[in-house]
Amino acid sequence: MKNKTLIIPAILFFFILFILFYLLLIDRKPSELPSVLINKKVPVFKAESLLNDNIFISEKEFKNELTIVNFFATWCKPCLDEHVYLKKLSIGENLKIIGINYKDDPKKAIKWLKELGNPYYDVLVDYDARIGIDWGVYGLPETFIINSKGIIKYRLVGPITEKNYNMFKLKIIEINQ
Amino acid sequence: MIPFFGNLALWLSLFFASLQFILAYNQNPNLLLRFNNIVNKGLLISILISFFSLMYCHIISDFSVLNVFQNSHTTKPLLYKISGVWGNHEGSMLLWILVLIIFNYFIHKLFNKKNLALLSKALEVQALIIIGFLLFSILTSNPFEIIFPVPSNGLGFNPLLQDPALAIHPPLLYIGYVGFSAAFSLGIASMSVSKKERVNWHSYMKPFVVAAWSFLTLGIALGSIWAYYELGWGGWWFWDPVENASLMPWLLGTALIHSLITVEKKKSLQTWVLLLSILTFLLSVTGTFLVRSGILTSVHTFALDPERGIYILAFIALLGGYSLLLYGLKSKNFLNKNYLSFLSREGLILANNIIMMTVCATVFLGTMYPLLIEAFSNNKISVGEPYFNSTVVPIMIPAILIMGIGPILSWGDKSTKKKLKILSPAIFLTFISTIIFIWLYNSFNLFGIIGIVMSFWIISNIILAQIQHFQKKFNINKIKTNIIPKSSLGMTLAHLGIGLLILGITGSSVWQKEKIVKMNINDETFIHDYKIVFKEVKKNIGPNYIALQGNFLIYTKNNQLIAELKPENRFYPVAQNSTTEASIHTNIFRDLYIVLGDGDINNGWIIRIYYNPLVIWIWIGVVTIFAGGLFSLKKNIGIIKKIPA
Repeated sequence: MKNKTLIIPAILFFFILFILFYLLLIDRKPSELPSVLINKKVPVFKAESLLNDNIFISEKEFKNELTIVNFFATWCKPCLDEHVYLKKLSIGENLKIIGINYKDDPKKAIKWLKELGNPYYDVLVDYDARIGIDWGVYGLPETFIINSKGIIKYRLVGPITEKNYNMFKLKIIEINQ
Repeated sequence: MIPFFGNLALWLSLFFASLQFILAYNQNPNLLLRFNNIVNKGLLISILISFFSLMYCHIISDFSVLNVFQNSHTTKPLLYKISGVWGNHEGSMLLWILVLIIFNYFIHKLFNKKNLALLSKALEVQALIIIGFLLFSILTSNPFEIIFPVPSNGLGFNPLLQDPALAIHPPLLYIGYVGFSAAFSLGIASMSVSKKERVNWHSYMKPFVVAAWSFLTLGIALGSIWAYYELGWGGWWFWDPVENASLMPWLLGTALIHSLITVEKKKSLQTWVLLLSILTFLLSVTGTFLVRSGILTSVHTFALDPERGIYILAFIALLGGYSLLLYGLKSKNFLNKNYLSFLSREGLILANNIIMMTVCATVFLGTMYPLLIEAFSNNKISVGEPYFNSTVVPIMIPAILIMGIGPILSWGDKSTKKKLKILSPAIFLTFISTIIFIWLYNSFNLFGIIGIVMSFWIISNIILAQIQHFQKKFNINKIKTNIIPKSSLGMTLAHLGIGLLILGITGSSVWQKEKIVKMNINDETFIHDYKIVFKEVKKNIGPNYIALQGNFLIYTKNNQLIAELKPENRFYPVAQNSTTEASIHTNIFRDLYIVLGDGDINNGWIIRIYYNPLVIWIWIGVVTIFAGGLFSLKKNIGIIKKIPA
């Protein structure tokens, strides 16, 4: 080992330290994710449906009524916990929820929906995560609220839970007005 | 009154720690020995008073203390009132300091006239660490803060934490994290003193590292057990940032132990030991930083307080800057020009060190990458399980292969070719056991096969080495059997434990079966070869919760009843929170795991059922590793005692 290489750990250390300081000092809230998409039109995309042979065309679907887009996968455990609340929303509130099955095995997804019930108006296959990338999906599950003009108004990262269910419902009512 | 004394004792600890720090600059040996003794005991006693005062406040539910009010409730069972002391940020910091001071006490116990220079420097560094954490506690997170008027009851406790495994998880984990502080202090000390004063520094360091590593292993495992049955997700490791934060010091600690053995036997790898002793502790503190600064979100996150984050980070900057610059300047004095042959025990240990470093760096990158990306591009991304599984697992495979061979080779080996021949029985044994295993489980999954081969490879090598030692001892076999070097009981057990651990990890991750179904009363379902019948749901009232308890009967293929599982859904009215308690039936082949989900009598319940093969071997493996650690600890303390004073 050359003597000079012994200083490398210190240099790396200061580099990492610098980044951590920077992150601490800037005003950031890790659980609230800003989205560049907020107040913008939904990304344009086409996708196959998991449930039928139709092709889903975004321009045709996101208009006239408030729509919820939920990214989920069978491998995502919090999605399972969230499922109950999605059902509550779809049955109780009569909302149009579009599920996007992210990086998942379609067979498993179909089975999942059969066993647990299907809260979705339509489920789209996003096997290679292209739709997810367009929407800037950070981690699963993620839920977006889109108003009747096709504008994204709200983004929730993480599952809808007992705790934030009411808040989420309020957001929907707010956006619908 | 009691909280006042607790607070006073905390300040007193700060006073004693400062004295210990200043004393190190005194060069008079008699004064140092005598005075340090008083200061050291004073420090220990005052922190004990402080810690037990807080515990007392929690036990008697003294809600005039903010910490008790925020984290406790009169209805909470006694065990959880006690563990509630460290179930929150302020109290756990106090526990951290307590453990730090206990280790300080043990370093001090080694003090004598010969090692005066080395140990007084180590005690100085230890005092600096203690002062840093005491100031942190007193200034930003004082557990003895008072509120007035005194509330009539507390806010309750996060019910997820109300669990026996989690009650002892933090203390064990902290013994691990904090134990590495002793290695850090001794490492710095040996770089700071002259060559003559550097007496047996590695022998002093080793028992601390062994103790810390063993407890860290056990602590991590307890956290995993908790996650396994409490989160109800069927798994026991989720690559959560905080899990990673505990894994990284573990990996480096593993490398550190092995390098220390090499230093002891061959005097080589000394610079490795120094670097690892610094990095291991720095990563332990960084783990604390990640958990408490709110910089990452995780299930473990304590408090989102940037002020605290900046304090800890500044402290890390001080410790890391000082130690790593010192390393950069001084560690060349420890370089040793001895050539290492790869196929010797030290050669393989070096290879394993490099692999452990790589794995640690990989985990570090995965944990920090989202932060790096955010700092540079303002985008948020997440790195999840797929990254870790596809990077860590392949890097670990050569490490495990090496682990099987290492103990068979001797130190500074030159005639390795001959010795590699003795590997053939191990290869044969591994092959046979893998075949039997695959035949039993009737599965040809590639990762499964690799995992099983790895596991049996380690186990076979250990068994064969033991057989040879046995033969040699009793002269059963007259042929030259002394080709396998002596191995310590601690090492044998620890390696065996790792073998069993890999068996469990492989079984439960590769052959897990999951079933999520909606069931009504008297419905039945099948998983693997078992029939599961949903008998009933009843209400169950616990000390501070109300539970819905499901009753499931498990039958084998031949309709034989083997178990009754009772998963619960608990609701805690004080915390307004519910938890799931999975019910698990365990034997040496598999776990059957049932979680009661949402539902009601009309629509049925969502039931999650897991068939998790070989999980028990994870826990058996960990206990074996821990036992190995304890044997090794005993041996290493013995070595220190033999050092002439």
